[in-house]
Amino acid sequence: MEPLLRVEQLTKRFPQALANDRISLEIFKGEIHCLLGENGAGKSTLAECLYGFYKPDGGHIYFKGKPVKLSSPVDAIELGIGMVHQHFVLVRPLTVIENVVVGIQDSGFMLDLKQAEKRLLKICETYGIHVDLQAKIWQLSVGEQQWVEILKALYVGSELLILDEPTAVLTPQETERFFATLKQMSCQGLSILLITHKLNEVKQISDRVTVLRRGKLVATINTAEASKAELARMMVGREVIFSVQKTEAARKEPALEVKNLRARGDKGQEILQGISFTLHRGEILGLAGISGNGQKELFEVLAGVRRAEAGQVWLEGEEVTNRSSNFMMARGVGHIPEDRLHEGLVPDFSVAENLILGQQRSALYRRGPFLNFEQIRKFAAMCVSTFEIKTPSLAHPTRFLSGGNIQKIILAREFTQCPQCLLANQPTRGLDVGVIEYVHKRLLEKRAEGIGILLASEDLDEVFDLSDRIAVIFKGQIMGVFDAHAANIEKIGLLMAGVKEEQV
Amino acid sequence: MTIPEKASKLKQWQITPRAQNSRLWRIFSVILAFLAALMISSFLLLTARINLASAFGALFFGAFGSWRAFMDTLARSSPLILTGLAATIAFRAKVWNIGGEGQLIGGAMAGFLAFTLFSGLPKPLFFLLVLLFAFAGGALLGALSGVLKVRFNVDEIISTVMMNYIILYFLSFMLSAEGPWREPKSYYQQTVLILPEFRFPVLFPRSEVHLGFLVALFCALIIKILLDATPLGYEIRALGFNPKAMKFKGTNISKLVVVTMLVSGGLAGLAGAGELFGVQDRLVMDIANGLGYTGIIVAMLAGLDPLGVVLAALLFGGLINGAYRLQTVTGVPSAFVDAIQAIVLLCVLASFVLSRYQIRRVVDVESDLSSSDHS
Repeated sequence: MEPLLRVEQLTKRFPQALANDRISLEIFKGEIHCLLGENGAGKSTLAECLYGFYKPDGGHIYFKGKPVKLSSPVDAIELGIGMVHQHFVLVRPLTVIENVVVGIQDSGFMLDLKQAEKRLLKICETYGIHVDLQAKIWQLSVGEQQWVEILKALYVGSELLILDEPTAVLTPQETERFFATLKQMSCQGLSILLITHKLNEVKQISDRVTVLRRGKLVATINTAEASKAELARMMVGREVIFSVQKTEAARKEPALEVKNLRARGDKGQEILQGISFTLHRGEILGLAGISGNGQKELFEVLAGVRRAEAGQVWLEGEEVTNRSSNFMMARGVGHIPEDRLHEGLVPDFSVAENLILGQQRSALYRRGPFLNFEQIRKFAAMCVSTFEIKTPSLAHPTRFLSGGNIQKIILAREFTQCPQCLLANQPTRGLDVGVIEYVHKRLLEKRAEGIGILLASEDLDEVFDLSDRIAVIFKGQIMGVFDAHAANIEKIGLLMAGVKEEQV
Repeated sequence: MTIPEKASKLKQWQITPRAQNSRLWRIFSVILAFLAALMISSFLLLTARINLASAFGALFFGAFGSWRAFMDTLARSSPLILTGLAATIAFRAKVWNIGGEGQLIGGAMAGFLAFTLFSGLPKPLFFLLVLLFAFAGGALLGALSGVLKVRFNVDEIISTVMMNYIILYFLSFMLSAEGPWREPKSYYQQTVLILPEFRFPVLFPRSEVHLGFLVALFCALIIKILLDATPLGYEIRALGFNPKAMKFKGTNISKLVVVTMLVSGGLAGLAGAGELFGVQDRLVMDIANGLGYTGIIVAMLAGLDPLGVVLAALLFGGLINGAYRLQTVTGVPSAFVDAIQAIVLLCVLASFVLSRYQIRRVVDVESDLSSSDHS
């Protein structure tokens, strides 16, 4: 059978790296094909080449057996290749129908919305998609917005749908429903290329999987023929330990107490609506929730960079509400911010300079009025060796390092400065499996030292693996706190979507 | 991926960003920029039917051609070094102080105030107080814009430019017929002449190079050390690169902005003292004469490096100085020199972009692949 899409020896080179090195791939009609790989393995680059966004440096692409040259996404869309990116491109005040119709080449001067609605209803019926077509985008949840993006692709007649990490914005339940619909779509003859780094998803949904590692093709195999461990080994290039080795928690006195905390977001909206919890020394309290439900703001209030409008924060029995970030730092509160490049460090500074960020006035690194470069270098060298930071030199600009090494710099800095508690917001997002393992190990070490750790993560597996207790946050409220081994993933998932226990 | 030898003829050129700036390449690109500027300026002069050799000769000899010319160039560069440093320290923090002009006036006015108060004191103490007052005068204006920025979120570009006018009109009032500083019975808006004994001492006999030049060099060194080797400099640089991370790591950004504006304004203020006590010898309306704005150009030309500022200021001092000679020799309007200054600046700025990229030979991948297929 002639494959719908055939890629031969596709190569894409970037100044710093070979992103795709002679990748070959075939996708058949009605197939769900996963593209699996770590960050930087070249998955997204390959997809963008297929969507005409990047121009490959070499190789050939055949669609329905005919060689094609894609010079822009318009070419791809005309052929029938649609793509949904991680960041949606939707006009928020417009309805679903309007968003779908807007920007289509042959829509003419006047929009025929009635006609469009008819066609869209048919598409929704065929594939079992449930979206209110008259709703405005801003009224929809992020998961529903993703469906609008998919509808946009289907409306223009896509036969191959490329989805870039679509489940990143979904709760576990939403993911289930999403996958069920994808199955139905594939049964109707639609081909789907799903980009992911989650092994569970590959096993759950795909017919075949193509594994990439460092820009190279590892293999394409039938999903049923490979175990999770085998897939992981192909992806990472070595054995991966899945279960985190965790000792029993030695929960001690409270480190951080938060009482009825309220704060506003950047746009003035009431983002924290009465948050209360207690973080004990020697435990990891996991904060489960979809991103954007107040995690970032909560961490910022606790780190002293956002004002609380009401409520209290107590640290080691002392009230510290709305104290400065300098004060919180001096009291031993470490913070690993969500956006490591913009909030965590100064990308243009050297590795050594970033390792003392915040401590530049400390007597440790000063000699009289001057910075003590010798002491700074010593400290930096110590950090680089203990935290296995891979850098050409201590003077190397930080922005040229990989995400994992950048995160290690932040870890090294915060770990050496936080004797009381650690606020870790998404500490492993976007990192490679190896680095994730490392971060987990280090966090558990800190916990064993008796430090209280507040850990927010979108990755439920991570929350379950590491936490002693799990708090679920939804729309700025804590929906409940559970012992990690007593909690079940369905219940947490429902709470993440805002469904209260009584309603279940 | 290894590159097969036989594919070498299929190489192509590609422009890619540099991972790291090489110092050598940077210097080379600046030299290239000057050559380009020279060429473009030549076209300009040719349109005016001016003999290029005599024009550039005049420009050069007027600037550096004789001991006398060189001394004049040094004298002219002194205020530019200071206003250039003022722009440098602010711009490194990405605080856009465009008020060097007004801060220079503020410094000159404070210097004149010191003159009226302390002229009876012994000379070394008197000069010290003059410099102190001048720094404080500029610093006050700068810090005011800084406070407006952090307290009321007033854009510093607007507030510093507005300050330029406010202080200028304040000076105009002080020198008006009703004003307290007006020279009695004078037709001009000016103060009394500062007698030679109160002027800044001249460093070299029969030259106009005064104490201010030493002050400027000293400041360049101080600012260099401040930026590179002190916690405050670390914070100023970090503020320029990523204020958010600074805030997250416990630095009081508001205070830092005000301190930066204070130092920046103070440096411009010192330039005012030099103009008052070393060049004009009295407070006049055009005491600043665009030196504050030219300082911004000098700072940009220097790539915001304090020691580079000294070189750039010497170059600009030379251009201004050489322009007089150019005018007398060829009769071109002095606007030509402004144009040449602008051309130099544009070329050098373009070269900074250039130095961030490299041209590499890369193998055409497609042909490389087909050739490796055959092997």
